[in-house]
Amino acid sequence: MAHAAQVGLQDATSPIMEELITFHDHALMVIFLICFLVLYALFLTLTTKLTNTNISDAQEMETVWTILPAIILVLIALPSLRILYMTDEVNDPSLTIKSIGHQWYWTYEYTDYGGLIFNSYMLPPLFLEPGDLRLLDVDNRVVLPIETPIRMMITSQDVLHSWAVPTLGLKTDAIPGRLNQTTFTATRPGVYYGQCSEICGANHSFMPIVLELIPLKIFEMGPVFTL
Amino acid sequence: MLATRVFSLVGKRAISTSVCVRAHESVVKSEDFSLPAYMDRRDHPLPEVAHVKHLSASQKALKEKEKASWSSLSMDEKVESLCFLLHKCGFGEKWLNVAEEGAADLCACKWLSSLPPVYRIKFKESFAEMNRGSNEWKTVVGGAMFFIGFTALVIMWQKHYVYGPLPQSFDKEWVAKQTKRMLDMKVNPIQGLASKWDYEKNEWKK
Repeated sequence: MAHAAQVGLQDATSPIMEELITFHDHALMVIFLICFLVLYALFLTLTTKLTNTNISDAQEMETVWTILPAIILVLIALPSLRILYMTDEVNDPSLTIKSIGHQWYWTYEYTDYGGLIFNSYMLPPLFLEPGDLRLLDVDNRVVLPIETPIRMMITSQDVLHSWAVPTLGLKTDAIPGRLNQTTFTATRPGVYYGQCSEICGANHSFMPIVLELIPLKIFEMGPVFTL
Repeated sequence: MLATRVFSLVGKRAISTSVCVRAHESVVKSEDFSLPAYMDRRDHPLPEVAHVKHLSASQKALKEKEKASWSSLSMDEKVESLCFLLHKCGFGEKWLNVAEEGAADLCACKWLSSLPPVYRIKFKESFAEMNRGSNEWKTVVGGAMFFIGFTALVIMWQKHYVYGPLPQSFDKEWVAKQTKRMLDMKVNPIQGLASKWDYEKNEWKK
């Protein structure tokens, strides 16, 4: 989860997110360089004493400022596509969880080894204990094992929602009538938070997602399945 | 009835097609924008027309003198008419005969008020005059700061009269317990919050 007034990305909890952070650093540097160059050119334009307005035919400069942006775009596109294909790699998930969006809560179904279905509502402010995270904590978390590939099937029962957990680099739209799939592997145990990321009505800001990642051994003992 | 009378007072001036009436303050009277006009512009150093169209008697005499051989001009007059004219065109000192020592000094770009009548016939302002800065920036900055201050007052009024109380999760004790919980959970342990906490000494890293 983010601390108050955090602007940057959260630390990665999955390998894909680590790649995304590196890519973000790379693209941001390109953006800063371009912005700096443009601001410098603007500054020069505003403070010049030169007054010739009949300049034309600067073929060399025009060639450079066509080829160079093309190269920059390629340098951005290549890592981007690499990560995109990395997310679609075949990784044989061990576990499949279904996540169904409602107005305004999530339903999770663990139906691989039995039938566990439960709702996950945000804790109302009056139910919070001191130290709880307002607008983030839920009554029933999604308990999952670390270091195992997990497949999430995401859909909605009414309107559009989006199931997002930033630290895992996940954001998948929940669309009624459609099953979207995303996979991830968490590298660290812990509690990870996300919020609904597609406007879905009055309480769109009040249907968070909480994952509790625990070691596989403990997960196998079945705390999840004793509801 | 009253409205039309008021309109005729204000409206006539507002929608007047006469340039002289509309622009009574700052613009020099110009009859027609399709005719060549005089303008003081840094990027247009030689205007289409001279500044003074109708010469007075003394100005006419001066122009006649300029038509004659320039060797008959005094040093001052020579320098005035030739140098300033060329200076206005941006050619500077290099066009002067270096042997005329006095001329080199006189051609320094320092005289604003001492520009002679010949120059003023042709041009309204010198380059230095037209490019001069102004104190407008002080007005702009002062006005901006004033309105920012006023906005601060508005925000203070809002905080006092409009907004409700902050949620209890902003209380100091709550934030302390919340931070402790986040540290126990090791939130962002690589570069974020938990990476700044020293778990052995139980304090923030120095």
